[in-house]
Amino acid sequence: MKAIIVDLSICNGCFNCQLACKDEHVGNDWPPYSLSEPDRGQFWLKVSQKVRGSVPKVKVAYTPQLCDHCDNAPCIKAATGGAIYKRSDGIVIIDPVKSVGQKQLVGACPYGAIYWNADLNIPQKCTMCAHILDTASSATDPGLMVPRCVDACQTGALQFGDDTDPAIQALISQAEVLHPEYGAQPRVFYLNLPKPFIAGTLYDSVAEECINGAAVTATDLTTGQVYTATTDSYGDFWLEGLVSGRTYDVSMSADGYLSKKIEVFLKDDKNVGDIPLFKGGM
Amino acid sequence: MIETFQVKENSVSRRDFIKTVAVIGTSLALLTQIPHGETMLRAVSAEEAVKLAQQAGQVTSSLRCLGFVGAAMGGNPGVVDVANGRIIRIRPLHFDWKYAPADFNYDSWKIAAGGKEFTPPLKTLIPAFSLTYKKHAYSPNRVKYPLKRVDWDPSGNRNPQNRGKSGFVRISWDEALSTIASEINRVKSTYGTTGILSQADFHGEVKTVHGRPGGTTRLLRQLGPITYQLRNPDSWEGFYWGSTHVWGMDQDMACGTMYPQDNVMPDVLQNSGLVLFQGCDPETTAGGFMGEMASLWCYWLKQAGKHVIYICPDVNYGAAVHADKWIPVLPNTDAALQLAIAYTWINEGTYKKDYVATHTIGFDETMMPAGAPANSSFKSYVMGVADGIPKTPKWAAGICGVPAWTIKALAREWASKSTSEVHTNGGSYIRGPYSTEPARLEVLLLAMQGVGAPGVVQIENFGTFIPGIVSPSTMAAFQGQMFTPTPPFIDKCHVPEAIMSPPVSYYGNGSIGMPREDQFVQYSYPLTGNSKVHMIWSETPCLTACWNGGNKWIEAYRDPSIEFYLTQQIVLENDSLFSDMVLPVTTLFENDIDICADNMGSAFWTVMMYNKCIDPIGESHSDIEICEMLANKLDPTGGMLAQFTRGMTHAQLVQFGFQTSGIAGFISWEDFQDKQYFVIPTDPEWASIPRGFSDYYNLPTGAGLHTPSGKIEFYSQGLAQHFPDDAERPPVPHWVPYGVTHQESLQSSRAKQYPLLLVSNHPRWRLHVECDDVSWLREIETCKVKGPDGYEYEPIWINPVDAGKRGIKQGDILQLYNDRGAVLGGAYVTERIRPGAVYQDHAARVDLITDGLDRGGSNNLIAPYKTISVNCQGLATSGFLVEVKKADMAGLMAQYPDAFARSYDAETGSDYDEWVDSTPPGA
Repeated sequence: MKAIIVDLSICNGCFNCQLACKDEHVGNDWPPYSLSEPDRGQFWLKVSQKVRGSVPKVKVAYTPQLCDHCDNAPCIKAATGGAIYKRSDGIVIIDPVKSVGQKQLVGACPYGAIYWNADLNIPQKCTMCAHILDTASSATDPGLMVPRCVDACQTGALQFGDDTDPAIQALISQAEVLHPEYGAQPRVFYLNLPKPFIAGTLYDSVAEECINGAAVTATDLTTGQVYTATTDSYGDFWLEGLVSGRTYDVSMSADGYLSKKIEVFLKDDKNVGDIPLFKGGM
Repeated sequence: MIETFQVKENSVSRRDFIKTVAVIGTSLALLTQIPHGETMLRAVSAEEAVKLAQQAGQVTSSLRCLGFVGAAMGGNPGVVDVANGRIIRIRPLHFDWKYAPADFNYDSWKIAAGGKEFTPPLKTLIPAFSLTYKKHAYSPNRVKYPLKRVDWDPSGNRNPQNRGKSGFVRISWDEALSTIASEINRVKSTYGTTGILSQADFHGEVKTVHGRPGGTTRLLRQLGPITYQLRNPDSWEGFYWGSTHVWGMDQDMACGTMYPQDNVMPDVLQNSGLVLFQGCDPETTAGGFMGEMASLWCYWLKQAGKHVIYICPDVNYGAAVHADKWIPVLPNTDAALQLAIAYTWINEGTYKKDYVATHTIGFDETMMPAGAPANSSFKSYVMGVADGIPKTPKWAAGICGVPAWTIKALAREWASKSTSEVHTNGGSYIRGPYSTEPARLEVLLLAMQGVGAPGVVQIENFGTFIPGIVSPSTMAAFQGQMFTPTPPFIDKCHVPEAIMSPPVSYYGNGSIGMPREDQFVQYSYPLTGNSKVHMIWSETPCLTACWNGGNKWIEAYRDPSIEFYLTQQIVLENDSLFSDMVLPVTTLFENDIDICADNMGSAFWTVMMYNKCIDPIGESHSDIEICEMLANKLDPTGGMLAQFTRGMTHAQLVQFGFQTSGIAGFISWEDFQDKQYFVIPTDPEWASIPRGFSDYYNLPTGAGLHTPSGKIEFYSQGLAQHFPDDAERPPVPHWVPYGVTHQESLQSSRAKQYPLLLVSNHPRWRLHVECDDVSWLREIETCKVKGPDGYEYEPIWINPVDAGKRGIKQGDILQLYNDRGAVLGGAYVTERIRPGAVYQDHAARVDLITDGLDRGGSNNLIAPYKTISVNCQGLATSGFLVEVKKADMAGLMAQYPDAFARSYDAETGSDYDEWVDSTPPGA
């Protein structure tokens, strides 16, 4: 069964996957798999971006999302007349003939992966480039052996394969899916999904020096779980892998300085800024 | 009866599909495409169905270098798939498509670093605007026919004042060529050939036989000496005009950056501890020639355990994903930061004193050349002996906005680790007023830590590393011409004043590859006995959007002394709108045949055939074909044409390009034609080539640099001798907040009115202006911001702090302005830009509401027209003062109803039909 694994730690936000998908599907009909996608506003693969933190602790997270080709696909159940079917290789296809007029399918996907093509009167989505996969052979150009998004990915952030391959299995075993609570059993898997952080800088405001090697802990006031970090030579600390919607007690201590404690409600990633510590006993 | 085609549960191959269709026998429902995008459901016969399916399978694949560096220099090789005369897709080239990896010594390309082994991808890493380039080819904004400005009458009133205002009418090629020939002959007989200015210098599609730029220059020079616009090194300005006086580095394309660059990429990966990206963006600027290679190397840095710091006002696209730490410096204040680093090292004794003593001059008072004034050493300036101001971290913090404690920590990490400064060409850091100063200071800081030692290097093009056995080039067959400082010429940044207020004089011709001493030579225009310019022929009509003070260029184009302004372009935009005649140019998909070497864009060098993909759009021709047609018109005997073509057909030139490319010893012409490409094998001995600049480092005492002392000069003797009183580029680099040339810092009085500094980077989603019309790029969140009026505005990044002060919200239409004019933009309120600075990419497509007010957001229009400093001719187009406010759209619409009534295609930004009456001639 085919699967796509997305490693967000090496997604550089080039948007090539989103663009290659459009290059393949806008203006090109691939019957019986799909018909031309509208030029704009619809994304069979969409990259979303999120700016995390605040100056100067800022990162940008990019997340490519496409049809999950779910093993328990809600869209298949919502379709009438066999308009959506799952192939033996796991790929879920909307039949462009049988699906005519079935606008309800757009709402059937909890991930929002199905779009309504008003001109053609059909629902549409990613086909995992089945039209390319089905014509691929060992003699084919290696660029036409995998879905276009995967071929256009420049960093290896998108990987495509069969879950019978032990290498793919190994990746899947470490991966997460988006919204497991939907129970749809996606075939698109994510490595290194971003988790919220609390970051900041500790410095000595009198000497105007960064404080290196300070211990910073965050205690989740709901669960009691403790997260730790140590400041680097810039006085920077990054408490990572936290949970949003929780309140944390963040305590900072360094040899020769008075300790400091602040309470942080973590709605999202949080930069607590440059925090001065003052000389004194431990 | 119509049967519905049944898709089986399991996979259906194209072959099976065709077979099944044939077997069904009767008619069936098939979906097919009716011309150009209108898709509908219809019934077709079985025969038709088979034919359609077969056609869909008849895909031919051709190769192209899809970069935009220009000439035959390669970049971004990709595969173009064509079916039924239409480009269906563009994708990366897999080197192993027709070769086995062993054929190009793949296994010899590996680097061990940080306990890991790094090997290159087997495909090219083409970027967004190469991947989507077919959209540019099929843009509604394509110039389809020769166009003449409606109120330009060569035998009557030429109405120069209406350039950029009146529209165009379609004319025939015969009328166009006859008019051009008669204008050339008229200008020649009235003023002499120097009355013609050729603007044809770089950036654009990559071609050889059809190669631009400068076919025009070469053709015109057959008539006699013409005036030539000399291109300045626009992405290295500070290095060219500054660093050359520190350490020479004026060979080849170095332009002041460290040379040679052999094996510096593996060196950084293996030997650096800290890597600094200062005001540059490896995710963006590299895209025009090496796609995402720089990005891949950034990940390798991380995997090899390097500490990576970005010093820039913005979380640029590289910092967004690759920075371990971001130090948000205020725009164009890097010199203050650098001086404080030097101060910290001197104060704490943490620089390489031995190296400084043996390899440099001018560091302290004991190392000064004879005749230098007292207290004029670098150390005296840094420690405040000369001016009473020690350049402490606290002093710098007040200027550059980086806390003193962070500056000290940076200085100490730098001193404790092998540290390299890397660039992907220059970013905004090196393209501002007084950019010579940070450029020189960068080299001096590297020198204080022993530049040339393992892991202590400067890289100009981070990500470029191709250890091939031979560097291929098809330049021998290149039909254009460039970088030829043959008099008479005008430095590009001075063209507007050369047109409007000659004579003009300046120091240094500014051309790439000129020796350091050229900066002491005074040039003037026009030369004695030569006419000034009265006609312009431009192959690169993009100065309004891409060069210094674009509004000044508009004034120049309207000057009555310019009797004929001819442009040729793929799409109708920017300077072409101000011309009298526009000729339609093909994209590289549309030419009969070509060849090109990629010697910059990937992990392996390649040479490739360009087989024709599609027919020309409208009546377009390549730049070279236009020259060929004009040669025939100018000289019906065929003499000019024969000289221009070198007596060869395009096909013969392609074969000549192959024979001279360096690969003819590896592959036969027949085999090359069959395979369409050749991959240069990796040199198995590449690792034995010495690291760039290690020879200088390894000398017991430095010698041999192209400086007066032969050493690295903290005190530049050449500047002291030739420009002793230049406060804007003194012998020792200074923090220069303002001076006679510029008042563009927060310390200058203009900051009261314009309190924000603009960061204007190379664009992320286009190459300068090229591809600003690609609808798929324009719907990316950071490419355009859709205004409430539906117009897609160029984003202006503004920090929530600065936005809050001005009542600005995400998506508002903003006016970004100073005393040189205003441009509009869409508010992008974000933590990706520090307070005190705003960010808008340069080179959006110009869309004037009225003179001095641009809706397109092309901020070079309001950049300083003046160059770097009084004796430096480079452009200064980032890090200048502006203010932003919410645009009063209701007021603007009431004031300029005609401008806002113009119809346009928001998805591509095209307003072609507003400018052009496409009625066929004679109709």
